Amino acid sequence: MAVDNIVFLIPALPVLAFVLTLAFGKKLPSGGGYIPILAIAISCIISILAFLQIHSTDIPIPIEVSAHWFSVLNVGIFIDPLASVMLLMVSFVSLLIHIYAIGYMAHDPGKPRYFAETALFTAAMLGVVLADNILQFFISWELVGLCSYLLIGFWFRKPTAAAAGKKAFLTTRVGDVLFLAGIVILYSSMRDVFLERFPAGIPDGTYLLQFSTIFENISHIDPTHLTIITLLFFGGAVGKSGQFPLHVWLPDAMEGPTTVSALIHAATMVTAGVYLVARTFPMFIASPAVELAGITIPATLTVVAYIGGFTALFASTMGLVMNDLKRVLAFSTISQLGYMMLALGMGSVIGAAAVGFAMFHLINHAFFKACLFLCAGSVIHSTGTNDLREMGGLMSKMKITGITMLFASLALAGIGIPFINKIVGFPVGTSGFVSKDAIILDATYVFSHMTHDWIPFAFGILAALLTAIYTFRLWFMAFTGKPRQERHPHESPATMTGVLSILAIFALVFGMLTFHPFLDFVGHTYDSHEIEHLAGLGGNPILEHPDHEIHHIVDTASPIIILLPVIVGVGGLLLAWIIYNRRWISVASIGNMRNPIFKILAKRYYQHEIFIELISMKFTYGVLALTGEFSDRKIVDGIIDGISSFIIGGAEVLKKIQTGVVQNYATATVLGVGLIALILSFKGVI
Amino acid sequence: MLPVSYYLIVAAIVFCIGAYGVMTLRSGIMIMMCIELMLNAANINLIAFASHFSQVNGHVFVLFSIALAAAEAAIGFAILMSIFRSKNNVNIDNINILRW
Repeated sequence: MAVDNIVFLIPALPVLAFVLTLAFGKKLPSGGGYIPILAIAISCIISILAFLQIHSTDIPIPIEVSAHWFSVLNVGIFIDPLASVMLLMVSFVSLLIHIYAIGYMAHDPGKPRYFAETALFTAAMLGVVLADNILQFFISWELVGLCSYLLIGFWFRKPTAAAAGKKAFLTTRVGDVLFLAGIVILYSSMRDVFLERFPAGIPDGTYLLQFSTIFENISHIDPTHLTIITLLFFGGAVGKSGQFPLHVWLPDAMEGPTTVSALIHAATMVTAGVYLVARTFPMFIASPAVELAGITIPATLTVVAYIGGFTALFASTMGLVMNDLKRVLAFSTISQLGYMMLALGMGSVIGAAAVGFAMFHLINHAFFKACLFLCAGSVIHSTGTNDLREMGGLMSKMKITGITMLFASLALAGIGIPFINKIVGFPVGTSGFVSKDAIILDATYVFSHMTHDWIPFAFGILAALLTAIYTFRLWFMAFTGKPRQERHPHESPATMTGVLSILAIFALVFGMLTFHPFLDFVGHTYDSHEIEHLAGLGGNPILEHPDHEIHHIVDTASPIIILLPVIVGVGGLLLAWIIYNRRWISVASIGNMRNPIFKILAKRYYQHEIFIELISMKFTYGVLALTGEFSDRKIVDGIIDGISSFIIGGAEVLKKIQTGVVQNYATATVLGVGLIALILSFKGVI
Repeated sequence: MLPVSYYLIVAAIVFCIGAYGVMTLRSGIMIMMCIELMLNAANINLIAFASHFSQVNGHVFVLFSIALAAAEAAIGFAILMSIFRSKNNVNIDNINILRW
């Protein structure tokens, strides 16, 4: 059990690397970049050891390390299958991105700061993954937010970068506040539960916010509270994972170095929201639809599915028209995160297997999205521009980048060969095909057969079409055709292309090779928590043997449904090829401001106008802030000022009595005494 | 022996003269003297009642009162002396520096 004793090193080493790099980075080669790489490499190795230990038994036994903190709270590490796969992905992808950054950031004077911050970023994310209680989770979660702020605004002298950092921080903060509110309500609910069970006081060694304690007591928590708590948690996830309507920060987060974008999008930040929902999945599935103040709140997982599906479609439409290479990828991330949320939302029917689907897509997405971003970084590094319109014909100059990016694009678009899984026993195709089509297919059946609701499926399939179009639009515009501007691109150094190749291989084959083992392994995460019973509490019509039933449904489905995701993927590819490579249809005839659809997309649904100018300037500033200012300055201050001026005015009058003439005082004294004497004599005292 | 009311009338007259002086006069010294008059009026009352009731308490009290008057006069005149040094007169109307 040696691994138990060293798992704490997984987040501790990157923290140490953060301190060392910050302190001594300037004196070391490459700005001290090798320290975080070494630290994260060791973290990665320990993660692998932990994974192997959990995986060695038939039914995974989680690694649990816990220490008393104070009162009814603890600190601890909890690695179950869910955490373990996440841990592997975060440490591995982060390691690759750090290695790549040595080449990418070679010419930047701020290297020590960069490497220190990315090390802390990774440590914070590892902390999120390892947390065994919701409070520790939240602390790491906030650290992730802080690091993202620092790194997005890494080039803080550039006003847009500073603004983007601030926007990311404030937008995710909206979610964080909701999350914190959820934790507070959860804590008070848990305390009530325990005080009812132990009227004499909560026994020592019971930690109210520990995940295992929470899950064991879900059935005792008031259902209304549970729904509110999970909705608030989901609010936090919406902020962190860039779901509608808090997705606005992600496209702007492109202002940081591309490697930071890769970290945020693949490994360390946006996946935290999906992980939160997956981590607290037993709570989500047990949350029923409740009626609150006359308003019916749907079951949380239904909300998750709808928000996820809508985000997947919504973001992909905007990805179609962006000209900034990285922005296209940013919208694709939002869209893919929407898929993950959609997959989690399916938990209302297929139970804990949904966590497996979501995590599988999360991991695959991490590989191909990291690859896409790093390829984009390679392109930007060599051409010096982000603008797709200024690129073109890069394939001849940057072969490795071009090919790796093509692989990653195929993965993102979900291109693969259907039906072959019945022959070879596993799905054949890029990792995006394996995981995304699994989600779309399951969504089809889950929602059409169980809840008679086609909308999430429609979101999913439309988004898949658009994803294929914008992905290959990007690739064709950048790598094929003639160079549209005189530049001198060159292939990137070996540290960069090496990383790209590794990631591209993962993007191609990871999904194929691990599909069934992965789902089996992660599917064991919530074995001990009686998901069926919890689903009953939440009123979710969960299947008894989801694996069998889904296989059965998929096997008996009409082939067109199974083919549809591939058809839209290939169709999107061809459409992009026709428009952006062969140019049989003129781009200018569609993509101009006279086309209302193009205009609304290019303007990004006027989100800037709505969020910034309408909500924040007009409403928040114009109405709320100015009302607040008026009531503060005029009403509150007015009362205080009024009291003081009344007293001052009164004193002005009264002070005239003090003449300073002794005779007046003497007269007053004598008259006063005389008056008292008179009164007393009338009363008969004297 | 004269009835006690005679003494009281005299004392009342003296007291009124003193009180009137305090209220109307301007000179500090004159005011001090008027205060002495008022104190002495009280002393007369004390002595009158003491002899009327054939008790010694009143006599003792008057001695206290005289001692107090002496002390008051000493302080009062010292204050008036220092006022005179700075203002060259002892007109009480001019001494109003602590007024608003």
